[in-house]
Amino acid sequence: MNVLTFDSKQCERIRRHLDAYLSNELLVETTSEILRHLETCAACTRELETRTQVRDLLRRAAMSQMPPEGLRLSIERRLRETRPGFWGGSRQLNWAVALAGIAVIVLGGMVAQEWVRAQRGRRIVAGVLALGVSDHIQCAIKGHNYPQVANPPEVLRKKLGPQYAGLLEVVHQNLPGFEVLEAHICSIPGSSRKYVHFITRGRGTILSVILTKNDGAQLPSGGAFRSVVAGNVNLYEAHEQGMNVAGFESRGYLGFVVSDLDREVTLQIADQLVPPLNAALQAAG
Amino acid sequence: MVGEGPDGGAKAPPFRALETDLFFRPKVRVEDFEAAAMGHFPALYRTARLLAQETAEAEDLVQEVYLEAWKSFHRFETGTNCRAWLFKILFHRLHHFRRRWAKAAKVEGFERPEDQESIAAEPAVAHEIRDEEVLGALEKVPVEFREVVLLADVQEFSYKEIADTLKLPLGTVMSRLSRGRKLLRRELAAVASSYGIKPGKEQASTGESA
Repeated sequence: MNVLTFDSKQCERIRRHLDAYLSNELLVETTSEILRHLETCAACTRELETRTQVRDLLRRAAMSQMPPEGLRLSIERRLRETRPGFWGGSRQLNWAVALAGIAVIVLGGMVAQEWVRAQRGRRIVAGVLALGVSDHIQCAIKGHNYPQVANPPEVLRKKLGPQYAGLLEVVHQNLPGFEVLEAHICSIPGSSRKYVHFITRGRGTILSVILTKNDGAQLPSGGAFRSVVAGNVNLYEAHEQGMNVAGFESRGYLGFVVSDLDREVTLQIADQLVPPLNAALQAAG
Repeated sequence: MVGEGPDGGAKAPPFRALETDLFFRPKVRVEDFEAAAMGHFPALYRTARLLAQETAEAEDLVQEVYLEAWKSFHRFETGTNCRAWLFKILFHRLHHFRRRWAKAAKVEGFERPEDQESIAAEPAVAHEIRDEEVLGALEKVPVEFREVVLLADVQEFSYKEIADTLKLPLGTVMSRLSRGRKLLRRELAAVASSYGIKPGKEQASTGESA
């Protein structure tokens, strides 16, 4: 290589900057310094020309590489077959989170509402079933309106009257282990309400089966409040004044099975008795 | 009449299914991605082709770049430099491949600061050199330098962008560019001298051969 001997210090300095000059990365002052030098230095001018020429050759050669059109098409096809990441982006994720949030609020609200409804439902059930408990306590327990030895069936049938006499057999048949001591129509002092009352004895205690005309009391519908479905009748239960009571609705009547037996036992007894009793009431009209 | 075949206009491309997705309706649409990214396909391909060992490798590389870019397109902010982003993905891939075989031992040698800018006259190169010869010369430049030269001289990225794309310090970008260009000049000078072009002199005799 020919070593240039003139002005070498200045040329050396300029050449160090030539690459940056070529890439347009120099400060304005440095650029003008280079331009000033090039005006007077043929060697450096030639050097810059060479470098520019090489760059242009490289550009031209690189551009001569034609990208295969088939590759572009295949990429575009693949793009359409591929889902973008994360269900299409973070904004969609936020959208999903927002939806989830709304769902939580809505479901939470529904749960809360359901809870309130359940509370109210349970209060209604307890209120209705309390009727049966108070009838049982008033007539059978406090009033002790039953004999030690069971009244004979024909006496009971007479007491019940033609409308309800037929129920005696139903109660008798479907209360295994219980003896029907008494059956009558009770009336409550100071009220127009009457009720059909069967007083039975078994399992060491007194159990009442009570039927009363339903004047507008309505047990809440929905699975949350009924305890058992006996036949096709919904059974409700409550605990009032030390008694367990199972209640049901049947064609204008409310029915109760009340005793101080366990709630399980009470429900079991009612489960057996209520369907035929319901059927008999339906048949009686 | 002619254009409307029985299934002509009605046939929806498969991505339509995404748009009707009820809950995770994608914001990003493949058309938007293509509009932003496919224009850089030739540049990406050329760069990949000049850095990869062979054509098939370059094609795979470019395809992977696009699929990866598409998958993370939701993270790409519209209005920012899509070309720089795509190149970044390209080099991330390239370097990942490269790390497997070539350890940096070779590069160290080339980067020694002993390589001061000499004021020896650079060999001149001739305009007559053909593209294939230029590419042949380029191929002889080690890939670590080649990539910087391509990004600076062909793609015209700034030093800063190159440093960003290659994850290199700015100083390394500058020294590699300088070294890479010099190596390319030497390779080209070798080609030129095989044509009988003497360095540093304009040829007066070439007029006869045409």
